[in-house]
Amino acid sequence: MGILSKIFTWWDGGTIGTLINSALTGEQVGTDAQGNRYFRSKKPGPLGRERRWVLYNGINDSSRVPAEWHGWLHGAFDDVPESHLPPPKIWEVEYTPNATGTPQAYRPQGALERGGKRAAATGDYEAWAPDS
Amino acid sequence: MPKVTVDGAEIEVPAGATVLQACEAAGKEIPRFCYHERLSIAGNCRMCLVEVKPGPPKPQASCALPATDGQEIRTDSEMVKKAREGVMEFLLINHPLDCPICDQGGECDLQDQSVAYGRGASRYDENKRAVTEKYMGPLIKTVMTRCIHCTRCVRFSEEIAGVDEIGALYRGENMQITTYLERAAQHELSANVIDLCPVGALTSRPYAFEARPWELKKTLSIDVSDAVGSNVRVDSRGREVLRILPRVNDDVNEEWLSDKARYQVDGLTRRRLDKVWIRNKAGKLESANWSEAFSIIAKAKPGSSIAAIAGDLVDCETMFAAKQLVNALGSDLLEGRQTGLDYDVSNLAAVNFNSTFAGIETADVILIVGSQVRWEAPLVNVRLRKAVKNGAKVFVIGPEWETTYPATFLGNDLGILNDLPADLVSSFEKAERPAIVLGGAGLAKGALAPLIGLANKFRLARDGWNGFNVLHMAASRMGGLMLGYKQSAGIKDIIAAHPKVLLALGADEVDFSAFEGSLKVYIGHHGDNGAHAADIILPAAAYTEKDGTYVNTEGRVQYAEKAIFAPGDAREDWTIIRALADTLGVSIGFDSFAELQATMIAEVPALGEEGLVDYGALPSGGGNASGVIEAYPIKDFYMTNPIARASETMQRCSAELLQAGQFAEAAE
Repeated sequence: MGILSKIFTWWDGGTIGTLINSALTGEQVGTDAQGNRYFRSKKPGPLGRERRWVLYNGINDSSRVPAEWHGWLHGAFDDVPESHLPPPKIWEVEYTPNATGTPQAYRPQGALERGGKRAAATGDYEAWAPDS
Repeated sequence: MPKVTVDGAEIEVPAGATVLQACEAAGKEIPRFCYHERLSIAGNCRMCLVEVKPGPPKPQASCALPATDGQEIRTDSEMVKKAREGVMEFLLINHPLDCPICDQGGECDLQDQSVAYGRGASRYDENKRAVTEKYMGPLIKTVMTRCIHCTRCVRFSEEIAGVDEIGALYRGENMQITTYLERAAQHELSANVIDLCPVGALTSRPYAFEARPWELKKTLSIDVSDAVGSNVRVDSRGREVLRILPRVNDDVNEEWLSDKARYQVDGLTRRRLDKVWIRNKAGKLESANWSEAFSIIAKAKPGSSIAAIAGDLVDCETMFAAKQLVNALGSDLLEGRQTGLDYDVSNLAAVNFNSTFAGIETADVILIVGSQVRWEAPLVNVRLRKAVKNGAKVFVIGPEWETTYPATFLGNDLGILNDLPADLVSSFEKAERPAIVLGGAGLAKGALAPLIGLANKFRLARDGWNGFNVLHMAASRMGGLMLGYKQSAGIKDIIAAHPKVLLALGADEVDFSAFEGSLKVYIGHHGDNGAHAADIILPAAAYTEKDGTYVNTEGRVQYAEKAIFAPGDAREDWTIIRALADTLGVSIGFDSFAELQATMIAEVPALGEEGLVDYGALPSGGGNASGVIEAYPIKDFYMTNPIARASETMQRCSAELLQAGQFAEAAE
């Protein structure tokens, strides 16, 4: 990633301002499997609490925060997940990237992209055609 | 007239009244399940217990107890309250707690009354009784575990419908209501037991799990499936009619409704005309828009060579609008009798059901000529059965059909009218209220004039009684005749006139091959025979989709209201005709529905007043009858109109109840 794209784009990781702010006021507490970096403020914020944030490694998409870090990020617990949470269970599935905006995005039943066929509803009628 | 005291208030009740009726007259609500005003008294649910003095010191079933002079009735005492709670608790012992998945929920007598009169909690710990499912045909869904043994359905089919089809097996707690050998209930009024059932044991099969009563919009309307003009309530949600229920009108349908009227509703969502179609040069129908269709009609330059044929289901307003258009163009070619009937209609008293439906109950001798009343008007058949139960004798001329009362069949030959059998003559002479019912098959064979002769000979019209009846089959017939949809030779006159443009107003029974050279414009709501034959199809509204006036076969004017909007591009019929008038460059005198009605009422004042129309006295008639009635016009009770033919429920009924029955009979 070049310096130019860092200056002019905002969708990949932190912008320059965020990076500088993170380096000056924050301290990194950990990194998850995808390489997202987690920060907390060195000083408490205006409400007297420490602030926590994430710098994404790649596309800024909040669904990329894994469950264990989500809890930390939202203040559900204070210890960082590596030391706090039990190891992942075997039935936990791998992260699936968010498909919004891609052809794989979910389409509700009846959407034109899915054939436009929906379940029968009140007010439906069957129109007559000459060959029927 | 006994005087009784109800909760301290003295009241006089008619002789023969029951204690329950006395309480009702005093304005007290008595809970009940088995008691029904129109059925015999059974007295087996015990819900109507009241305290009566003098009498044994225990609560008494008020529905079966005659009110006598000096009785002191209490409906508000502690004893009555406890008795009701006890009965309700017993009823609920074996009633499943499945109200959330029960179709009766929200309109259930047991639900309402357990809230009002029940104990609030159950003390019963044992298992509930379970009952095996019964099959009662394509219309009635059964969940017999819910049955509380009120026997209303049994009494209805025995007493009102006149067919011993539903009965009870076993006794006490083990009693089970079932049809004979679990066959489908095979009569035309079978679905009325659904309304009668106070719980969810018998519910509507086509309507199962469709809606809850509180989400439905209720619209008062008139049924068009036959010429009885039953009063109905159309229940709709959004743009769909979900069910049709009868409304109480003692003069017309009491509180019953024929299965066809009730269940043809799903036909309203199938085979609908929702856009304009025009037949192209290759003879294929192509979808088009309104202005194209109108311009083709205008290009045909009908001038005065235009005719209108009204179908069986259209309302008076549609017929009147078309009549105004045809008249404005200088033509008078209007006809409603689609199948070619050409009976004399110069005096409408001769083609009316003069004795009225309520009146025919009191007749003492009834001669039916060429009418399969059971299929042509099931609710009139109910009245005839009542008359027979009151002692009337019934004679039928025409092929044999299964009556629900004793009747003497006099053969198919109408010649018998010239030389009536002696017992008919003597009973007619002795009768105080003799009646004749002439049906479509008789009209087709020209039996009208000879029968009027007979009616005059036997003085069928006398003081306070007119026993000459014609039973029509089309909801639009009497209205059409009043509006001038009559040619002296029937539809043959219109064929002979070779109109350039033929307006078919929902006319589906016409033989369109006779109109080879005409531009056939079909204004209707279903793709049926008329649409297949038409050159231009203009989509219009069905009877639930427009306000309208209907005149039933006894000449009773009734108004129906619009329940929902017509689908797609379809418009209300009168607006189509109004727009057509503009295209053809004539003025037909109205711009709104209110103006249309006002013009119609100005022309035919009788249509402005709800109720019976007075057509005057019977004309004179006579002449010899001849001909043999080979068959009745209705071949299949469930398939008589375009809506019913489109209905899946009616098709299933026809296949299961009629055709399967014929196969079974053939095998026997």
